[in-house]
Amino acid sequence: MRGLFERHIQLTGKVMDLRLQRQNLVTANIANVNTPGYKAQSLEFEEKLQSALNQNALGKMTRTASDHMPTEFSTAGFKGDGLEAFKAREIHGQDSVNLDKEMAENAKNTMMYNALSSIIKKNFQGMTKVIQEGSK
Amino acid sequence: MDFMTAMDISSSGLKAQRAQLNVISMNMANIRTTKTADGGPYQRKSVSFESTPVYSPFAQEMHDQLNRDLHGVKVLGVTADQRPFKQVYEPHHPDANDLGYVTYPDINVVEEMTNMMQAMRGYEANVQTIQAAKRMFQKALMIGNG
Repeated sequence: MRGLFERHIQLTGKVMDLRLQRQNLVTANIANVNTPGYKAQSLEFEEKLQSALNQNALGKMTRTASDHMPTEFSTAGFKGDGLEAFKAREIHGQDSVNLDKEMAENAKNTMMYNALSSIIKKNFQGMTKVIQEGSK
Repeated sequence: MDFMTAMDISSSGLKAQRAQLNVISMNMANIRTTKTADGGPYQRKSVSFESTPVYSPFAQEMHDQLNRDLHGVKVLGVTADQRPFKQVYEPHHPDANDLGYVTYPDINVVEEMTNMMQAMRGYEANVQTIQAAKRMFQKALMIGNG
């Protein structure tokens, strides 16, 4: 069913949520840059999300009854995989966290988050435009 | 999972790096100190860090697996370095022993400066993450005012 708010707005919101989660993990990694024995953590969701979204593209299963499980992707239950580094880096003279990687991840994540928020904003702007112009 | 969590973690990082900087300053200031309250020359100090859970045990149970594992950092303690003191021959020094030797703390300026740079860069990295979280928060607020 097509509503006023299209499905991709919810999807964009979900991805923003996941990016915020990733931001928190990256922040924790950076804060622990000098902590010996700390295991860096990361959040992976892109591939899983892609394949979850592709459920529709591959063709829906025929539902013979309305009680059957729907195949359509729903943002509510989707979760990324939290990964913990296999082992802590404890080589003398090396930080326990790869700071370069984490800072790059931090910048990348912020940029993507900001881009997504712009996309949502544009969505709403477009919607407002349609409502306002339609009445003229 | 919210923005305040990111800020809390970064601030714990800032606090830890600042503590390290304080200790490094103390080492540098006392590089030629031959007398302390405990007697004997100043002993070099170093800081050790430990990662610490962000949430309280109750809040931790309420979160999912990912958020439960979020760790900030805290200063575990300041330990005295056990490296031996330097003996310098200075017979006219008031603290010289019978043979004319003065015991000085063995503090390496290069080592301390290196640690200082490391603490500084760590501090800067944490500031960057706070700024990133703030930018993201601002952007999220902008969604509403289309």
